[in-house]
Amino acid sequence: MTSQAKNFILSLVVAIAIVLIPSQYFPLAQLSVIEQRVMALFVFAAMLWVLEPIPIYATSILIIVLELLTISTSGINVLIDNQGDHFGELIAYKDIMGTFASPIILLFLGGFFLAMASTKYRLDQGLAKVLLKPFGTRPKMIMLGLMIITAVFSMFMSNTATTAMMLAILAPVLTCFDEKDPGRIAFALSIPFAANIGGIGTPIGTPPNALALKYLTGENNIGFGEWMAFGVPFVIVLLAVAWFLLLKFFPPKAEHLALEIKGKFMTSRKAIIVYVTFGLTILLWLFDFVHGMNSYTVAMIPVAVFLAFGIITKEDLKKMSWDVLWLVSGGIALGLGLEKSGLAAHLVNSIPFDQYAPVLIVAMAAILATIMANFMSNTATANLLLPIITAVGVSVMSLEALGGAKMLILATTLAASLGMSLPISTPPNALAHATGMIESRHMSKVGVTLAIVGLVLIGILMYVLNKVNFL
Amino acid sequence: MEKIYIICVEDQREVLNTIATQLSSLDQYVIIEECESAPEAEELIEEIDTKGDFIAVVVSDHVMPGKTGVELLTTLHNDQRFSDTKKILLTGQATHMDTIQAINMAGIDYYLEKPWQADDLLHKIKILLTSYIIQKGLNYKLFLEVLDQETLFGLLKQTP
Repeated sequence: MTSQAKNFILSLVVAIAIVLIPSQYFPLAQLSVIEQRVMALFVFAAMLWVLEPIPIYATSILIIVLELLTISTSGINVLIDNQGDHFGELIAYKDIMGTFASPIILLFLGGFFLAMASTKYRLDQGLAKVLLKPFGTRPKMIMLGLMIITAVFSMFMSNTATTAMMLAILAPVLTCFDEKDPGRIAFALSIPFAANIGGIGTPIGTPPNALALKYLTGENNIGFGEWMAFGVPFVIVLLAVAWFLLLKFFPPKAEHLALEIKGKFMTSRKAIIVYVTFGLTILLWLFDFVHGMNSYTVAMIPVAVFLAFGIITKEDLKKMSWDVLWLVSGGIALGLGLEKSGLAAHLVNSIPFDQYAPVLIVAMAAILATIMANFMSNTATANLLLPIITAVGVSVMSLEALGGAKMLILATTLAASLGMSLPISTPPNALAHATGMIESRHMSKVGVTLAIVGLVLIGILMYVLNKVNFL
Repeated sequence: MEKIYIICVEDQREVLNTIATQLSSLDQYVIIEECESAPEAEELIEEIDTKGDFIAVVVSDHVMPGKTGVELLTTLHNDQRFSDTKKILLTGQATHMDTIQAINMAGIDYYLEKPWQADDLLHKIKILLTSYIIQKGLNYKLFLEVLDQETLFGLLKQTP
């Protein structure tokens, strides 16, 4: 048997064991049947996302299907009929299926359309060329320029696509470097780190951010512009730290560096439509307080425009990263199960969080998120942690003084983007590692330092946001 | 888990061994098969296809007894099942006409003239392997060590 099959069976056995253990053996009073099933599902999902015997998006779909079969109003009759005492409430099957078309998913789809159209009509290459020019030919400055461009792009494009694009630009130059020049390492590392950090800047920069919006509802609601108001400064500071660290650890010896970016802005009618729509969408996102449309509604505008003008074709549509969207859907469905079944609140109430200092709770949540994100997908980390963290934020009163649930959710989400110390931590890291210019230890050296600095920065950011009454 | 194959076809045993040795750095990730004739290759290809595995690249000599390399690659090219399979013609004795046919009828991806450089063959195969894996939607992360970075980055940046 392959190790993948073994890992899958192991996860399944653990999940089934959780369902079969009589409920009185759990340290939770009055555990309902539904809650027990959700718990099994949660553990199953967690194990599958960590061990990865099946692709991470397949795990998401599995969650949705298993929820439909076992805890939905349209489940298998023998599993949902004959409800005894402590059975719990079934979840409407439409709510579970609805996660595929959640506003969060559509927000991301809008982001994909913008990214795909801008790549297709060379907005990205053109911008990169223009933006890199002022940074001259000194390696240190070029590196800063590349990092800024990478970070800005990854705020709107996927971190992976941005990394691929920037590494493609950088690769020919890196091979010209002297083999012993540590600058090679610095350059190869600068791209994935900048991409990971840049993703923090906007709600669509990386899936965990969008997922956080799902949990920031009601009075905790955050607009696109509001997110950027704290996200972008955070990115700037962390990016500066990363630049400084890379230069300190791996100072480039070369004096000059010539970077050539091919491609110019296109001037066709379609290209102009893409450029204008791109700019307009971002303006609409930033000025939601003027026109009243929320970021989800705005995200649908580029989708309609690009399809209507044939800018995104049927073939392009097939190339959308549906796996990423479904990965997030599964996370939303898992959160739905945890919330509607009452398990999240139940779990949180059974742990005496009130006895701990609130600062400690935030610190633990953020550190846990960063550690998990180092070893598994950042999105899967957010999928697992955010539902529980939200329940903690809502029920632990002592957190109120620090900013309550909103603060805890934001801190955890930002921390989930700090997992970047190993080649397996994120796809950008894996791509950079594949260039063969860097060893894992180089990546860890900078990655771990950055994570620690990042966590401290999150603390400072939350303190400031609370002081200005944002939280 | 499906396997990925690279098939080398060449009637001279020593040359076939040379090709296989030059590609040996790939064999932790893909299976390199050696065939001494076109019919043998076709039989193997059928077998691999039946198992549901993938044929990423076929490297073939041209002048072989029985069926020639161009004929083999033409058959492959016209078979819908292998429309993504990459084809390299490795030859020293192809005539002008053979070459035209190889491009027009067999849709070859690369023409490598004998004698060839080991690096050249390996590099070209990595490029073709990379686009095959992305086209087929296979998990590229498992093959990063043997993929051509330039090709990979170029293909990946197009998916948002």
